[in-house]
Amino acid sequence: MDKEKNEQITFKIQRYNPEKGSEPHFQEFIVTSSRGMTILDGLIYIKENLDSTLAFRTSCRMAICGSCGMLINNYPHLACHTQIEEFHSSRLTIKPLPNLPIIKDLVVDLNPLFETHKSIKPYILRHDDKEMENPTAEFTLSPQGLEAFLQFTYCIKCGICISACPTSASDKFFTGPQALAQCYRYCADTRDEGEMERFSVIDTDHGVWHCHLAGACSEACPKGLDPALAIQLLKRQMVSRTVGLGKKELPASTVPPNTETKPKVPFPDFTVKGSK
Amino acid sequence: MRNTYLWFIQLITGALIAVLAGIHTVWMHLDAILGFFGVDLKDVTGWHSMIERSREVMWAGIYIALLAVVLYHALNGLRNIILELTPSARTERIVTWSIIVFGIMAFIWSVYVPISLLST
Repeated sequence: MDKEKNEQITFKIQRYNPEKGSEPHFQEFIVTSSRGMTILDGLIYIKENLDSTLAFRTSCRMAICGSCGMLINNYPHLACHTQIEEFHSSRLTIKPLPNLPIIKDLVVDLNPLFETHKSIKPYILRHDDKEMENPTAEFTLSPQGLEAFLQFTYCIKCGICISACPTSASDKFFTGPQALAQCYRYCADTRDEGEMERFSVIDTDHGVWHCHLAGACSEACPKGLDPALAIQLLKRQMVSRTVGLGKKELPASTVPPNTETKPKVPFPDFTVKGSK
Repeated sequence: MRNTYLWFIQLITGALIAVLAGIHTVWMHLDAILGFFGVDLKDVTGWHSMIERSREVMWAGIYIALLAVVLYHALNGLRNIILELTPSARTERIVTWSIIVFGIMAFIWSVYVPISLLST
C-alpha cells in the first residue's frame, strides 16, 4: 500500500445477530484509509458513516483495556493496536475471536475467560489469616522476586491467547493460556502461599497438562507476554512440589526491610494557599 | 495431584524408552557398527538367537520393562488425545477404564512368551 496516498480498503466483516436468528455471513464496506489509520479507526468510520448496526467492542484505543480483540486476516489482533498498512492489502477480512461464544457481529462473550480466571484465585493467598484480616504492614517483595513474574502482570485479559490456542479450539473445557499464565504469576509470587489451592484447580484432565506447547499464545499476545513459558514453569513447579523436589521458600514476611530511609522532603513553606 | 503424577510418570517412561529402545536398537540393528568395535553378535536377528536371548533373565527383563513403559507412555498419550477431542465426564470414565483394561490385557498377553521361555 502506498503510505503517502489514501487508498480504498475493503473491510469484509463477519456479521451475526443471534436475535434475528441469521447465520453468520460477510458484509463488505469500503473505507478510505490514511497513513497511521488503525483497524479500529476503520470500524468506527463504518459505524458512524456506513452502518450503525455494526457491533464491536472498544474502549481505550491504546492497547490497555483489551476490549477490541478480533480476528483480522485470520490472525488475532487488537484492532486499536493494528494499522491497516501492516497488511499490505486492499482487502481485510475481520471476524470475531474464535474459541469464544459470539454475542453479536465482532463482540464475543468473554465470560468464560473471566470465570476461568476467577477459578485460579488471582490474588495473594496467605495462611496467616490474622494479618490478612487486619494488615499491619506490607508484605515485602524483592526486585528479584518481582522479576520472576513481572511480565505476566501485564495481561490485559483480551482473550487473544485463547483464540490463538489450538488446545482451546479442540477442548472447550481447557483452562486456557490466560488463566494458566496468571496462575503461575501468583504461584511465583514470594508473598503468596496459595499454590496448592491453585494446583488443585488446574490439575485436571483439562488443566495445565493439556497444553501442547504450540506457543501460539505467546506469538499472538499483543502485550508481548509469554504465556507458554509461564505454563512450562508452572508444570515444573507442580512436579517439584508433588514429588518433593526443590526447596519451597518461606513466604515473605510483613517486616519491612531493615534499611535506612531518607527523611521525607519537608513540606514547602510557600504554597498556593500560603501565598494569599 | 493425580494428573501431575500421571504426567511425571509420562516423563520418566519417555526417558526409559529412550534408554531401553536404544539398547534394543543398537543390539538388533547396529551389529555392523558393533562389529567394527570388535563385538561379534553372530546371527543376532535369527530365530535361535532371539530364543536364546529371551531365556536370559537380563534380556527378558529389558523386554518386559520396555513393554511396560511403552504401553504406559502410548496409552496415557492416547487417553489425553481422546479426552481432549471428546470432553465430557462420562467419556472420561469410559476412556480411562477401557485403556486400563486394554493395557493390562496387552501386558499379560505380551509377557507370556518371555516368561514361558524363561521357565523352560
